[in-house]
Amino acid sequence: MKTRLVAAAAMLLMAGTPASAHRLDEYLQATTISVERDRVQAQVRLTPGVAVFPMVLANIDTDADGIISEAEQRAYAARVLGDMSLTIDGDRLQLRLVSLKFAKIEEMKEGGGEIQLEFDADVSSGGPNRRLIFENHHENRIAAYLVNCLVPRDPDIRITAQDRNYQQSFYQLNYVQAGVRSGPRSSAWWSSSRGWLGAAALLLFAGFAFVLPRLTGRALRVVCFFRESKGFTEPVSLSTRTRGLRR
Amino acid sequence: MNVFNRRGRRGRRGGAETLSMKTACGILTLALMCLPVNAPMAQTTTSRIVSAANTFLSTLDQKQRQSVLFAFDDEKQRARWSNLPTTMAPRAGLSLKELNPAQRSAALALVSSALSPKGFEKVQQIMEGDEVLKTSGGNNPLFGKDLFYISILGTPSGKDPWMLQFGGHHLAVNITLAGERGVLTPSLIGAQPALYSLNGKTVRPLGQESDKAIALLNALDENQQKQAILSYRLADLVLGPGQDGKTIQPEGLKASVMNERQRTMLLDVISEWASIARETAAAARMAEIKADIKDTWFAWSGPTTVTPGSNITAYYRIQGPHLVIEYAPQRLGGDPSLHVHTMYRDPTNDYGRRLAAK
Repeated sequence: MKTRLVAAAAMLLMAGTPASAHRLDEYLQATTISVERDRVQAQVRLTPGVAVFPMVLANIDTDADGIISEAEQRAYAARVLGDMSLTIDGDRLQLRLVSLKFAKIEEMKEGGGEIQLEFDADVSSGGPNRRLIFENHHENRIAAYLVNCLVPRDPDIRITAQDRNYQQSFYQLNYVQAGVRSGPRSSAWWSSSRGWLGAAALLLFAGFAFVLPRLTGRALRVVCFFRESKGFTEPVSLSTRTRGLRR
Repeated sequence: MNVFNRRGRRGRRGGAETLSMKTACGILTLALMCLPVNAPMAQTTTSRIVSAANTFLSTLDQKQRQSVLFAFDDEKQRARWSNLPTTMAPRAGLSLKELNPAQRSAALALVSSALSPKGFEKVQQIMEGDEVLKTSGGNNPLFGKDLFYISILGTPSGKDPWMLQFGGHHLAVNITLAGERGVLTPSLIGAQPALYSLNGKTVRPLGQESDKAIALLNALDENQQKQAILSYRLADLVLGPGQDGKTIQPEGLKASVMNERQRTMLLDVISEWASIARETAAAARMAEIKADIKDTWFAWSGPTTVTPGSNITAYYRIQGPHLVIEYAPQRLGGDPSLHVHTMYRDPTNDYGRRLAAK
C-alpha cells in the first residue's frame, strides 16, 4: 500500500499543484431570488477566500477585537444590502434584512465558512409583464458573483427571460403574472418613495383646485376695479367672468 | 407509481397532448421497474445490501454502533455533507480511521454492495485522489483516505426506508433504499486531483463526465450552441451543499430541440451519475430521466475546447423535471481541470423523500 502511494505521489502529473481545498482569492457571493406576487425574497451566501479573508474581515470586525459582534454582523449585513439594488419595472425596492448567520472566524479563515443573509422587499402590483433587475456590487474587485431565480411556487408566475453580464453583477429577470391587469396600486405602492410623491402631487392638486377659484375671483375683482377706475368701458372676457362672480 | 400518475395528470391538463409510443414504452418500462418487484434478482440486490449493512454493524462495538446509527428522519445528519475536507466541514458517523481492518473492510463492502462496480470504482478513485493530495502536500492532515465517513440512517431493512451515507472531501454519496427501490440523490461527486497517475496508469475519476459533455457540445449545430452556451461565468456549484429543496429556473438549450442522436448523447452524459447506483436503481432512474428528456436543458459556461486527455475547464448543467447535474471546475489557485465539483440531484426526490412518503 505504502509503495503504491509513494508511486502515486511520484507520478503525480500536475507537478507543483497546490493542495488547496478552499477558495483562495475570490469572494463568492451567491444569490438566489424568489419571486412572488407581492414580494421578492432572496438568500445571499458569501464565502470569502483564504487570501481575501483578512480584507473582508477588516470590514466586518471593525473594532478589530477578533470577535464579530451582533452589532458588527448587522452593520456588515446593512453594508452588503447597501451595495445591492433591486428594482421592479424601474421602481427601486426597499430591501429588508430578514435573517443573518455568520460562520465562525476560524471557519471563514480556512475558506469554508459562509455568511448567510436573507432579505425581502415588497412589490407593488403591476401589469402582467414585469421586469426585475438585481445588481450586486459588494466588494466587486474580488467578487465571484452567482445569481439565480428559483422556479416560482405560484403557478401563475412564469419566468420568460433571464439576462446577466459576464460577472453576474447585473441580473435581469422578466416574468409574466397570469390573471393580472394594470389595476389600482396595492398598499405596498404607497410605501415606496414614488407612492409618497404621487400622494403629495395629489394633495397639491386638490389644494390648488380648492384655492385657485377663490384667488382667481379676488384677482379678477381687483382687475375689474382697476379697469373701471381707469375708465375702461370695453368688455373683456375676464371682466365678463368677473361679473358672474360679482353676482 | 408516482411518475406514471404524474405523467397522466400532465396529459389531462394538456388536453390534446398525447404521449408518443416511445415515451409510453419508457413509462411502462419505468413503471414495471418501480413496481414492488417480485423478480428474484432485484430482491437479491436489496437483501445483499441489508446483509452487508448488518455484517458491518456486527463488527462494531456498542459505542461505535451509537456513532454510526442515526434516525432515518434526522435532517441534520442527512444534510451533513460537503465538498470540503472533513476537518473544515465536520461529518458525523464513523471515519475509516476509527475502524480496524476488519471493520473497514466491512464498511467498504457495504458501500460497494449499494453501488454498481463502476460507481464503486469511481468512489475509490476519488478517495485515492485525496490520498495523492495528502502525500503530495507533505502528509497534509486535511486529506487522505482515512477521512471518509460512513453512517446509517434508520434500520437496514428489505422493506422499510433507510439510508446509507458515505463521504469525505469531494464525496458525498447519499443512498436511500425503500424495498427494492433505490435513490442516489443528492450526491456530490468531485475530484482533486481530477487527473493523476497511479502505478503507471492515468486516472481521471470524472473523465467520462468531461469527455462525453464536450462531445455533446460539439455535436450541437451553431444555433443550438448559441442557446446552450451561457454568456456569463459560473464560479461554483449553484445547488451544492446546503441547497437542498431548491429548484432554479433552467437555462440553455432544451432537449426538445435536439435531434435523437444529440438526446442519446445527453442521456449518456447523465448516465455517468445515474449509473453510480446499483444496476436496478440506475435503470429505473434512467427510465425516469428518459421520459422527461424533452423537458431537460443543457447549459454550458466557459471554454469550448479541451486538451486531449485532460478535463474540460467549463461549467455545465443538465436540468430536467427530476434532475439537476452540475459540473463545476474550480479555480482555486490552480488548474481548474484538476479540481472538479459535481452535483447530482433530484429536486423531487432528494434523500428519497418521494419513496419514503409511499
